[in-house]
Amino acid sequence: MISVQSLRKRYGEKVVVEDVNLDFPAGKLTSLIGPNGAGKTTLLMMMGRLLARSSGEVRLEGEDIAVLRPADFARRIATLRQSPDFNLRLTVDELVAYGRFPYSRGFLTAEDHAAIEQALAFVEIDHLRRAYIDELSGGQRQMAFLAMTIAQQTDCLLLDEPLNNLDMKHAVGIMRALRRLCDEQGRTVILVVHDINFAANYSDHIVAMKGGRVFRAAPVAQVVTSACLRELYGLDFEVSARPDGYFCNYFKPMGICK
Amino acid sequence: MTARTWLTQPAALMLFAALCCASVLIGATPIGPGALASANEDVWRIVLSSRLPRLAALVLTGAGLAICGVILQQIVRNRFVEPATTGGLDAAKMGMLIALTSMPQLGNLPRMFAALVFCLASSLLFVTAIRRLRLRNAVLVPVIGLMYGSVLNALAEFYAYQNNIMQSMQGWMLGDFSRVVQGNYEVIWIILPIVVASYLFAHRFTIVGMGADMATSLGLSYPAMVTFGLMLVAATIASTIITVGAIPFVGLIIPNLVSLYHGDNLARTLPLIALGGASFLLVCDIAGRLVIQPFEMPIGLTTGLLGGIMFLVLIWRKSR
Amino acid sequence: MTRSLRTLAVWAVLGALAAAFLLAGAALDFDYVIPRRLTRLAAIVIGGICIAWSSIAFQTITENRILTPAIMGYEAIYLLLQALLVFALGAGGPMLLGANGNFLLSVAVLLAYSLAIHAWLFRGGRNNVYFLLLAGLVMTIAISALTEVIQYSISPGEFALLQGYSLASFNRAEPAQLAIAAAILTLVSVPVIRSLRTFDVVSLGRDQAISLGVDYQRFVRLHLGLIALLVAISTSLIGPTAFMGIFVANGAYVLARDHRHRSILSMGCVIAIALFLCAQLLVEHVFNYRTTVGILINLSCGLFFLALLVRRSERA
Repeated sequence: MISVQSLRKRYGEKVVVEDVNLDFPAGKLTSLIGPNGAGKTTLLMMMGRLLARSSGEVRLEGEDIAVLRPADFARRIATLRQSPDFNLRLTVDELVAYGRFPYSRGFLTAEDHAAIEQALAFVEIDHLRRAYIDELSGGQRQMAFLAMTIAQQTDCLLLDEPLNNLDMKHAVGIMRALRRLCDEQGRTVILVVHDINFAANYSDHIVAMKGGRVFRAAPVAQVVTSACLRELYGLDFEVSARPDGYFCNYFKPMGICK
Repeated sequence: MTARTWLTQPAALMLFAALCCASVLIGATPIGPGALASANEDVWRIVLSSRLPRLAALVLTGAGLAICGVILQQIVRNRFVEPATTGGLDAAKMGMLIALTSMPQLGNLPRMFAALVFCLASSLLFVTAIRRLRLRNAVLVPVIGLMYGSVLNALAEFYAYQNNIMQSMQGWMLGDFSRVVQGNYEVIWIILPIVVASYLFAHRFTIVGMGADMATSLGLSYPAMVTFGLMLVAATIASTIITVGAIPFVGLIIPNLVSLYHGDNLARTLPLIALGGASFLLVCDIAGRLVIQPFEMPIGLTTGLLGGIMFLVLIWRKSR
Repeated sequence: MTRSLRTLAVWAVLGALAAAFLLAGAALDFDYVIPRRLTRLAAIVIGGICIAWSSIAFQTITENRILTPAIMGYEAIYLLLQALLVFALGAGGPMLLGANGNFLLSVAVLLAYSLAIHAWLFRGGRNNVYFLLLAGLVMTIAISALTEVIQYSISPGEFALLQGYSLASFNRAEPAQLAIAAAILTLVSVPVIRSLRTFDVVSLGRDQAISLGVDYQRFVRLHLGLIALLVAISTSLIGPTAFMGIFVANGAYVLARDHRHRSILSMGCVIAIALFLCAQLLVEHVFNYRTTVGILINLSCGLFFLALLVRRSERA
């Protein structure tokens, strides 16, 4: 389980994340939501050791992540930022093979090959394995990066806006794959997501942030209410909880626009 | 206009006036204020033929280069550019070199024109290329500009080596005001109308700094304004290089310092930038004349060292 | 063409160039001409390897393909040192120390400079390569002004000598220096070869590399230090080469057609050595010494850099 204690990030005078205390439930899917500039990505980057914290602690199974060796850390937590743009000509399976670097430092074993195959199969891109990354569509590329992160076989995955710039079909595909990672493999998934409907329908747990602080951290049913979301975003919501899922209407909530 | 600007301007003007007086009085033959009043003919001859021309050249060059820097910074939209970091100086040098070797009988004006044409063409090329490159990091722009300058330099070297003029080429590049006397520096007065023109167009240059799309939607002809700005820059560079040589950093430091305290609205800050550039050169010149009396250090060296240190402090503070 | 065939072809071209360099017009004179040329060939090989490794490693670390470590002020420092030697000791200055003395002094001064700017900029855990670049750039302008003053005030004879140092050439290296350089290069190659695969991961970008378990901070410091050492060797051995690194690295990406640094680095070495050989052959047999290797390389690689800039800006 990952927990965060009195975590802070400031740039000079500017406070971006202020006194955040959280426990992320293990084996569950947690979404970080909130308006722009709430500090969601900053929080995620500090948990992934990509950004130095100003004060506070991030603990993994009770152990401060700062003391872990980089290679050990990479076998326990994997981070995926918004689809990195780079000018390398790599095929999909070459990219996914990089996910095994923490284990074999580049010399692939039979076990590594098995993990790569499994990851490719899991996100259903076996057929693209020989294609070059720069020739794929945005959604396929995101799937390939997700496969690399899955091949890292960590207990915990951190993803920063994995749905950014994806069409609906690919966005649903990514979210389903993440859901299955929790349900079938018991991994902990934490992601920043902007679309409240995706967060509501696929998460177990939601952390809502506002102004650098935690606004509310609770199971989905307690956060996805019209009152809570209205206060969080400063926008009217009409939330319908149906047996098959949630629908949050903030486009034209009833009673506001006639 | 903020209260701060009102406060700073008289102070800056007073400092500037004091520096001007010091510049006239200090030199190989020190002149006391009393000597000026006594109407001694020799003293007045030194003042009129050497000290005042030098003062005028210093003030014009300083103001002109600082304004060049800020215009380039608006056009490229990058705080770290100036003629030395966009290849402008090297292109002007190449133009002069070619004019000098192919038509040695020509005077200062045609040479300056050649420098101007080369500088303008190379700046246009650089600005077009850099705008399309969309570099991720602001620091890369001057880095690439400097590399671009050394490419031009390599071209000039290839040419100079075959004509056996490498050392003299190095010689006239170094900024030096000791050559400025009545009769051979007048070309530099061209900076005066440039300064006036840049002040008249200051508001438009601020808009140019907001980018092509914004400028166009505000009804400005963006390409025309960019070309006009680069022409002002090229004319300033060409006239300074022909009379006093290359002087680095003035266009970099002064606009950055002014913008740190007074923001980026050129209509308001341009007078301060001009004044700052002139004062900075005066300080460097006086220091160069005092340090190893009765000899003097070329101003290219004093600005290079002093400006370099100031600039490093500036970026170091920014990066903290 | 397959990868192995292309590699074979490239090596064949390199072999032919080396043979032409050694034998052209030598009339098989094994007593003087060919041993002299072998010495120069050794300088070319060592210098080429240093330039290829340093520039490719630098481009991977900075995630940018139009940079070279040579612009961080190293060459300006080297020229200032030579100018100071000439200025203080007269035309015999650099010779007074002996070729070995000058070489070792240059390497030491360049390393001290690199340590100083690293220590200054990396204080308190900050790790910003771009500010390192900017600082190097400012140093270059300031130091060049100083060098120019000195050049201005020395005699034409001394200037001609100094000019010799400001342009790349293979004639100044002697066997003793080559042996020292080769020894240092061998030492450097151990950590470089050991981290070849880490370089591959770092080319995915900083965030991805950290996420995959690379000790990024340590990696960058170690390799920036090694790059400084490589630049120091190549500059002291053959003089400034400015843009050559950019040409070599970009040529290697195209010809290797492989993202792995194992292939890119070896291809880079081949290209650097071939380029040096071509320039030397051209100077000797086409230009008849009317130009120098240094000027020719600066010019051709400079033009390549411009073309790269224009092409990239068109594509963007």
